[in-house]
Amino acid sequence: MPHEVIMPALGMAQETGLIVTWFKSAGDPVASGDALFEVETDKATMEVEAQADGYLTDVSAAAGDEVKVGSRIALISEDAEGSGEAAPKNTEPEPAVAPAAAPSVEGKDVIMPALGMAQDTGLIVAWHKAPGDAVETGEILFEVETDKATQEVEAASSGYLTARFAQEGEAAPVGSVIAVISAEAPENPVDQSLADATPSASKPAPEAATPAPAPAPDTKSAPAKQPAPTPRSNGRILASPKARRIAAEEGLDLALLLEAGHPEPFHVKDLDTLRQLAKEAPAVATGAGVAAGLRLEAEVPAGAFDRFLSKLSASDKAPSRGAILATFAASALRNSTDPIRVSCADGDGRSQTYRDPDLGGVAEEDGAPDLLVRDLTGSFVTSASLGAGAVPSLTLTRRGGAIVVVLDAAPDRLSPDAAVALLTAFAARIDDPLRALL
Amino acid sequence: MTREITLSKAVNEAIAEEMRRDETVFLIGEDVAEAGTPFKVTSGLVEEFGTDRVIDTPISEPGFVGMAVGAAMTGSRPIVDLMFGDFIYLVMDQLCNQAAKTHYMSGGKLKVPMVLRTNLGATRRSAAQHSQSLHALVAHIPGLKVAMPSSAYEAKGLMKTAIRDDNPVVIFEDKLMYNDKAPVPEEEYLIPFGEANVLREGTDITLIGTSSMRQVCEKAAEALAKDGISAEVIDPRTLVPLDEPTLLKSARKTSRVIVVDEGHRNFGVTGEIASRINEKAFYHLDAPVLRLGAMDVPVPFSPALEDLTVPTPDAVAAAARSLVAGEMTHAA
Amino acid sequence: MAADGSKHNTEDYLRMYRQMVRIRAFEDNANQLYLSAKMPGLTHMYSGQEAVAVGICEALTDDDRITSTHRGHGHCVAKGADFKAMFCELLGKAEGYCRGKGGSMHIADQSHGNLGANAIVGGSMGIATGAALTAKLQKTGHVAVCFFGDGATAQGLWYEVMNMAALWKLPVIYACENNGYSEYTKTEEIAAGSLTARAEAFGIEAHSVDGQDVLAVNELAQKLVARARKGEGPFFIELKTYRYHGHHVGDINRDYYRSKDEEAAWKTTRDPITNFGKWLEGQGIVTADELVEINNEIKADAEAAVAYAEAAAYPPGEEVDAHVFAGVDHALTYIDGAAK
Repeated sequence: MPHEVIMPALGMAQETGLIVTWFKSAGDPVASGDALFEVETDKATMEVEAQADGYLTDVSAAAGDEVKVGSRIALISEDAEGSGEAAPKNTEPEPAVAPAAAPSVEGKDVIMPALGMAQDTGLIVAWHKAPGDAVETGEILFEVETDKATQEVEAASSGYLTARFAQEGEAAPVGSVIAVISAEAPENPVDQSLADATPSASKPAPEAATPAPAPAPDTKSAPAKQPAPTPRSNGRILASPKARRIAAEEGLDLALLLEAGHPEPFHVKDLDTLRQLAKEAPAVATGAGVAAGLRLEAEVPAGAFDRFLSKLSASDKAPSRGAILATFAASALRNSTDPIRVSCADGDGRSQTYRDPDLGGVAEEDGAPDLLVRDLTGSFVTSASLGAGAVPSLTLTRRGGAIVVVLDAAPDRLSPDAAVALLTAFAARIDDPLRALL
Repeated sequence: MTREITLSKAVNEAIAEEMRRDETVFLIGEDVAEAGTPFKVTSGLVEEFGTDRVIDTPISEPGFVGMAVGAAMTGSRPIVDLMFGDFIYLVMDQLCNQAAKTHYMSGGKLKVPMVLRTNLGATRRSAAQHSQSLHALVAHIPGLKVAMPSSAYEAKGLMKTAIRDDNPVVIFEDKLMYNDKAPVPEEEYLIPFGEANVLREGTDITLIGTSSMRQVCEKAAEALAKDGISAEVIDPRTLVPLDEPTLLKSARKTSRVIVVDEGHRNFGVTGEIASRINEKAFYHLDAPVLRLGAMDVPVPFSPALEDLTVPTPDAVAAAARSLVAGEMTHAA
Repeated sequence: MAADGSKHNTEDYLRMYRQMVRIRAFEDNANQLYLSAKMPGLTHMYSGQEAVAVGICEALTDDDRITSTHRGHGHCVAKGADFKAMFCELLGKAEGYCRGKGGSMHIADQSHGNLGANAIVGGSMGIATGAALTAKLQKTGHVAVCFFGDGATAQGLWYEVMNMAALWKLPVIYACENNGYSEYTKTEEIAAGSLTARAEAFGIEAHSVDGQDVLAVNELAQKLVARARKGEGPFFIELKTYRYHGHHVGDINRDYYRSKDEEAAWKTTRDPITNFGKWLEGQGIVTADELVEINNEIKADAEAAVAYAEAAAYPPGEEVDAHVFAGVDHALTYIDGAAK
């Protein structure tokens, strides 16, 4: 087995070594401990000794070559003829220890250097040279940001920036080739981003240096998947986490406490006050709360209403289904001469507001309704209690051969007695529509 | 049968019982034999066990702690007496770089079954180098277990568990409690590590007190009861391991927590416990978790000053009243 | 060579020779692993000091304990460790002596009485003395050897434990490998007076021996170990030796503290392996060809162990919080009381 002569890692953060001189030529006999070649690193020049006895063969890097650490530059063989193996190209690393193999471009590789103590990648902040530019040794080639600082990296050789494999803003693995400097001006300089690299090109270098990452052992402390909701930029209500949680669970708005003049911060004991405030406050139609409200349900055989509507539809001057329901609702509610506005909505989102339909009123464009009718009998919904909104609502659904009517009302808008009276009267009109109209 | 004995006597009994039970156990430290330590905790042991097992050392803390580590690695179970907790600083390498890491660095092949018993606590007018409570320093180091007995009962039960543990355990006794008596059973018992003790049940606020701060919390709880505030008092008993489930259960129940510990408040045990409650019971909290610790100054000598630096029952009760009243504890 | 050949049998000599060659082969491979960027971290080469570790450890049994240093591969091999488990440890693999948790600077081999290398200079002096305390208290008859370098004589811990060891006549031998350099500084610049006199100040019998002469080291060690077993310890030995490499593998450019001529002189005239080999030849114990055969066989062993270690598996991620506490499988749940 021939012994490989490898460009050694000498400095703490060294990627390449410059061969200054060979003390032996191909075919020369060498003994373990003989000085083989002289290498210049970031720190100093030193002699590298042979690690085996034999003959120097298969020399693949010459004096003046900059060679990646860990790459084979010659063999010490049992005879002067050498291995007969094809010599690896002088700057091409051993696969086992190679930094990422970039797309093959002739020239000297520019490597993402290891600058920090515990650094895996370097973020390219800026390129100071573009593909095709002439480069002098020592000129600033690019800026890299590590865990510690931003540093300028100088060109290690002169020539032309003939290829670039990583772009500004990209983080390249330490030891990977991010550019190539060629001796000749390139005709078609390469300009790629890391994203263009093949999977093998982004493989980090030595396997030994990248042990499998341990799974996070404590999944309980894993960060939440979603960022916390942004607090109101000003006027955030100060409340304890527990008070906030319970308020949210009960659909209570802590702002009511603030509006009522209670001092922050709010705690669990303030929630009793808040519950009372919520009852007194006009129910909001946003549905935020299922605050205590009236809910009554009636069930009426659908037959009479259905026959009534189908007869009506034969006539071309017949009122709409919505108008009829609005009429029934208004008359059921009627116990004064005040105007009654009824808004009637169907399952498809169409709605129409009527003023005093039971008195032969006409459709209106606007005006807050006093009563809401939701006609869901044409939909698949079989039961609905949509909560006490700003005004009482009657929701109609179809269940089997019956029409179900649910009345939802905030207690401050409709007394229990009035609610019973309203639903009873409305249901009676559905049950016997003809009589209602007479 | 239960009788009342001092904390000092409880520790002495624990060591003697374990030395009788296991002949690999020995006691080593400065003036532990005839002198029985400055606090007379180990008096009488040398008469029973001889100078081979109750070993007086020169004043060489790193030396005898290091030797205890080596003895523990080779089949002994040393109990090291570190005369004052303040001397922890002297033995940091042997304790934290050697004892704490040997089992891990050897991939589980070497064990260090040793106990370092030392003390904490101010108001003994001993000034800045003999009054510190430095348990947070060692609780920070993976590989060390840390026990904080709060009475003679705990002192005995935790010491016996520590001696039988296969790991380095540091026990901090409050040097002001050595003469405090508590009921201790005649029969043998051990207190497992990682089991907090709920000393008093309450519904309005949880007071977590380590070592002698348990008594401070108990006194505060009594005062609070007169105001109609129901305080729960918990003694964690060991910091490593920490009985989080018990602390969290109480925090969820009462929604308010004060952590009291005699170490410096900054970057200390109180902050650690408060943080864990904050992380794991946040939505059950009705008030910020408060920390009460030693004032962040070196311990002064003058009694007039020293007494200002430690948490008192009055201070704990005042903080509790403020939390229960829902007062703002910080600038909005 | 110091010893009279008739006192030893051929087997002992050959084992000492082989053990020294094993250390050199181990270090050559470890050096190559580092230089070719296959080994994580850094390491400190023992090459040149082989006669110290082998001369002393050949006088010990597996029940005798040693403590070792950051330059500890030699002690580990000399105490009987296996190449494969050592290389696996150096590469952080699961089959390493410490399951990859210690690495080069913390390698320990409990099975052969090696209580471990220590990355704190002088950090193990208390441990070795404590091992001797156990031996005395439990009357085991075992001896502890504390290996440390000249640099560690500047640590206060040594004086504390020497004092107690002398007071209590502990069976411990303090073996100071004086390789002339305290990291990057000549020893004479960091050590006042004489090292042997320091031990003698505690009433400890002190010896100075040529650390390049394995027979001289072994002869002295045999005598002192036997006396320590009888309760005549402690002892101090200063072993004058030489470190072939820099302080660590990356300490290449070292002209500023040590000349190449000096290094070359030690390597050519004072090499413990070459000189012992010549002596064995001269005594007719072994031929030059046989020595080459031994060297080659050990080299092949080492290379095979490297290849084995390179192919070996890393420890699984779930071991990261194992071995923090004895008797606790996973420290993270334990310290939170969740394992209760």
